[in-house]
Amino acid sequence: MNSPTMRLIRAELTLLCRDPLVLTFVVAFPVVTMLIIGGAFGTAPDPAFDNTNPAHWYVASYLTVVIGAIGLVMTPVHLASYRERGVLRRFAVAGFPRWSFAVAELVTGLIMTVVACTLLLIVALPVYGLPPLHSAWRVLLALSIGAVCFVGIGVLLGSVLRSARSAQAVGLLLFFPSFLLGAGGPPPHVMGSAVRTVSGPLPLTLLTNAVREPWLGIGSATTSLIALAGITVLVTAVAARRAVL
Amino acid sequence: MCRHPVVGSIGAMRTNDVVTVRGLRKTYGNQVAVDGLDLDVSAGEIVGLIGANGAGKTTTVECIQGLRPPDSGTLRVLGYDPVTQSDQLRPRIGSQLQDSGLPDRLRVAEAVTLFGSRGHDGAELLDRFGLAARRRSAFGSLSGGERQRLFLVLALLNRPRLVILDELTQNLDPAARRNVWAAVREVHADGTTVLLVTHEMDEAEALCDRVVVMREGRVLDAGAPADLVDRHAATATIRFSLPDPPVPLLEQVRRLDGVWSVDRTGPRVAVRGSRRSIAHVGAALVAWESVPADLTVHIPTLEDALLGLLEDENTMGAAR
Repeated sequence: MNSPTMRLIRAELTLLCRDPLVLTFVVAFPVVTMLIIGGAFGTAPDPAFDNTNPAHWYVASYLTVVIGAIGLVMTPVHLASYRERGVLRRFAVAGFPRWSFAVAELVTGLIMTVVACTLLLIVALPVYGLPPLHSAWRVLLALSIGAVCFVGIGVLLGSVLRSARSAQAVGLLLFFPSFLLGAGGPPPHVMGSAVRTVSGPLPLTLLTNAVREPWLGIGSATTSLIALAGITVLVTAVAARRAVL
Repeated sequence: MCRHPVVGSIGAMRTNDVVTVRGLRKTYGNQVAVDGLDLDVSAGEIVGLIGANGAGKTTTVECIQGLRPPDSGTLRVLGYDPVTQSDQLRPRIGSQLQDSGLPDRLRVAEAVTLFGSRGHDGAELLDRFGLAARRRSAFGSLSGGERQRLFLVLALLNRPRLVILDELTQNLDPAARRNVWAAVREVHADGTTVLLVTHEMDEAEALCDRVVVMREGRVLDAGAPADLVDRHAATATIRFSLPDPPVPLLEQVRRLDGVWSVDRTGPRVAVRGSRRSIAHVGAALVAWESVPADLTVHIPTLEDALLGLLEDENTMGAAR
C-alpha cells in the first residue's frame, strides 16, 4: 500500500485535516447552520415543508451543504493553491503517475464527504433526531453521484482559476447563492416563482431534491437525479483531463 | 532493479552520455524559446546552463524531463526518450524546478515519505543536509536555505543518476548559498550527474566542470569555466602605487611573460596581462623590494567572460 497514489491520498488527507478553511467550511459551517436553521421552524409538520418536520427537512438537506462546500470552496482553493505554488509541477516531475492526483482528489473529496456528513448526523441525532429513510438506496445513490459531481466541479474550477485567492472568491460567490437557494435556505414553497426558476437547475438544488425527497418520502426526484447524473458525467470527464499531471 | 533501454537513434551518442540533445527547438506562439540546441552531459559531470533570463535554460531542462514536448529535435536522457517514455524517465531523475514548492503545512518527514518511492525515511539524507532536527517542522516554517536543502533531499531520495537543479540558490543569503553549494558538491562526490541551471555566474564557476552559455535559445559557447574565461575575458589587471616607480622596474615588468601593457599615471601603475602574469609581476615586485601596500588584482571571472562573449556576439550581430 505504498503506491504513489496511496502516498498522495494519505498526504492530502493529512493536509486537509490541518486546513482551517476545510475545518471551517466543510465541517463546522454545515453543523452550526443546521443547528440554527433546524431549530428556527420548530418540529411540527408544516405545509411549507411538504408537511414534514422542518428540523428533519434541514437535517436531510444539510448533507448536501457539506458536498457543496467541498466542491465549491475546498477543492478549487486547494487545487488553485497547488498550481499557484508549483506543487503540481513538483508532483509531475517527481514521477507521480499522470492520473494519481486526479484519483487522490476524488478519493480525498469522497472521504471528507463521508466524515463531515457522519459528523453532521451525529450532532443532529440527539438534538432533532434523524428522519427515517424512506428510500435508502435512492438517498445513497444521490449522495454518491452528488459527491463525485461536486468534486468534479471543484477540480474544474481549481484548474481554471489561476490563484487560490481568485478560487476562494469565485467559490464563495457560487457557494452562498447555491446554499441559500438550493439547500440550507428557505423551502421552495415560500420562494417567489422567479427565485424558484433560478434555483431549480442549480446542481446543489438538484442534489438536495434527489436526497431530501426520497429520504423524507415526499417524492422520488428521479428527474433531479437524472439531471445531476448528466452533469456529473460531463463535469467528471472534463475535470479528469484537467487534473492530469 | 532499474533496466535501461538500449539507446536509440542518436548516432553520435557516447556510451557514458547521460543527456544527449540534438537540434532541440521549442516555441511559445511566435516566441522562440530554444532554437536548435545541442547538448551533451556525461556521467559524473556537473554541467551548468548559464545565460540571462529568457535565454531558454528552463525550457531546455523542462524538455529534458519530459514536462514540455519539443517542436523538433531529438532527446535521450538516461537512454529514454523524454517525449514518449516520460513515465519511465521521471522517477529516475531527481529534480529541483524553478518556482515549484510544497504545501506550507506539509512537514519535512511527511515530504520525505511522500516523495520517497522506495519506502525509506530519508533519515540519512536529512542528517547529511542538516535537517534531522527539522523533521517535524512544517515546510512553511523553514528558512529559504532549509527549503532548498529539503528540495535537494527530495531530489536525491530515490538515488537518481541525474539531478537537475534549476535556480537552486535563488533568493538565498550568502551563507545559505554556500551551504547549498557544499551539498551539491557532496552529491557530485557520490558520482551523481548534475545539470545545474543558474544565472549566478559565481555559482557556475564554483560548482561546474563545464558550462554551456545560452542566449535567445542558442548555445553561444561551452567549456570549462577557466577555458571560457581564457577565451572571452583573458585580461587580468594588477594595480598598485609606488611613490617614485623606478623606470627599470617598469621596463622589467613590461617584458614579463604574459604582460600585455603597463600604464603609469603619477604614482599609480596598472599592469594588464594574462592570469599567469600575476605571479611574475608579484615576483618582480618582491625582487625589487618594492611591495606596494595598495596592490589589487582583478582576476577575470566567468561573469566577465559572459559579458565579453555577449559583447562579441553583439559586435558580430551588428556587423552582419
